Amino acid sequence: MRTKLIIFLAATFLASCASNAPECVGPQSKNLSSAIDQAQISLINGCHAHFDRYYDSLLGIAEGDPKPENKRVFSEFLVWSSDKGLLSNRQAQNYYNRYFNVKFMSLKGDYNNCSHTCPNKQKFLFDMERELSDKERGLLRVSLDNEGYYRADQLYQEVELVLEATCTACAAGR
Amino acid sequence: MRNAPQRSQATVQKRTPGRTLYIVCLTVLFLAFAAVATQDAHANSPTIRLFPTTVVEDLKQTGNVARDMETGLQEIIGRLDQQQELYNESKCDGAENDSGCQRLARQIGATYLEMLTIMEERLPDMEHTVNNTRLSLEKGLRNELGRKMTPWTLQETLIGKSTSAATQQSAPTLRGRSGMRLSERFKQYYQLVATSGAKGDQSLAVLASDIYLDMEETSLLIQRTRQEIARATLMEQLNQSFGIITPEMIEVVGGVKSILFGDMDGTALVAGPPPGSIEEAYRSPLEQ
Repeated sequence: MRTKLIIFLAATFLASCASNAPECVGPQSKNLSSAIDQAQISLINGCHAHFDRYYDSLLGIAEGDPKPENKRVFSEFLVWSSDKGLLSNRQAQNYYNRYFNVKFMSLKGDYNNCSHTCPNKQKFLFDMERELSDKERGLLRVSLDNEGYYRADQLYQEVELVLEATCTACAAGR
Repeated sequence: MRNAPQRSQATVQKRTPGRTLYIVCLTVLFLAFAAVATQDAHANSPTIRLFPTTVVEDLKQTGNVARDMETGLQEIIGRLDQQQELYNESKCDGAENDSGCQRLARQIGATYLEMLTIMEERLPDMEHTVNNTRLSLEKGLRNELGRKMTPWTLQETLIGKSTSAATQQSAPTLRGRSGMRLSERFKQYYQLVATSGAKGDQSLAVLASDIYLDMEETSLLIQRTRQEIARATLMEQLNQSFGIITPEMIEVVGGVKSILFGDMDGTALVAGPPPGSIEEAYRSPLEQ
């Protein structure tokens, strides 16, 4: 009888713990500043594991009111996230540059092109293509940076051409 | 003793022009040194060596060889076109047993043989110069972009130090590898390479890649064409006795025309920027 009582109490305790976990609902406001405030509160109250989803929701909200100023807003949000320890500095850089910079983070690498990039050329290009669509969202649809997006698109084409030539030359030298 | 400060003041006043001259000289020396140092730093800044003088000369030479070949073939291809038109207008297609049609077919075959002979004569020169250019570029691309650069440094080279509109305009547009005469193409390459000193490394990397891939393709085509010529010549000599126009003949002539004189349908269009306002750039502290 005593054992049953202990089990019942433990189960009730665990159930109460479960119901106290944060719900981590995305920001409800359609205003970017308010949405960021809501996201920040949720993130520091235990929802940091859902950072990706929050970032995506914020981008969606920003798409509803695109303007060049949004770049700064997102940068400040990411710097805040890094300062609060929700993201490492490298993660924050990656989140920002993937969406709002012309340069491709997919091209990060410490080894030379002949030995590392060429054997994985298709993967590099595939990752770049995916990143280009994120840049379309960040640069074009969120920040109205048409020139930046156009340059990123051109850069993608140039990298594709130069890698094709370089990798052919590397293969011929073996 | 009372005069001592006056004397010293006078000495100072006397010395002033000398000191000014000294300062001026020092400034001039400093400026000269700074200018030399800047020039030196500029000269020592890492630049990619993709176009040695030999490549520039090879491009010029290839252009000349291509022009000679075009001149020789233009008249023959024109004649072939006329004969083909006459053959079609005479409704010879399907009437191969007609003696008039057979005569026309033999004439076309003879002109075709003439074209193959000229190509056989000129192609080795062409192949030689194209291969020289290709090999020089290949070495440069492999060493400079393949072995000395990571994907990130390659990207930085392509994007350039400055992403201003002026820099972007100086970059060559990707032309694709068809749509113009072969000699014109090499002439353009030569001009682009010869005047590329004023442009940044980003232009050179794209230009070298574009030319190299073109050379690679051209070299392969020449190689295949040379292999085919001997076979096609023998076939056509046999066909001469029957007066037959083979679809292969028409295909080969079409191929030669598109290589030498350009394929107008294949002109690559470069998309324009999407419409919208251009705002001033914001630089995030996170930007790399």
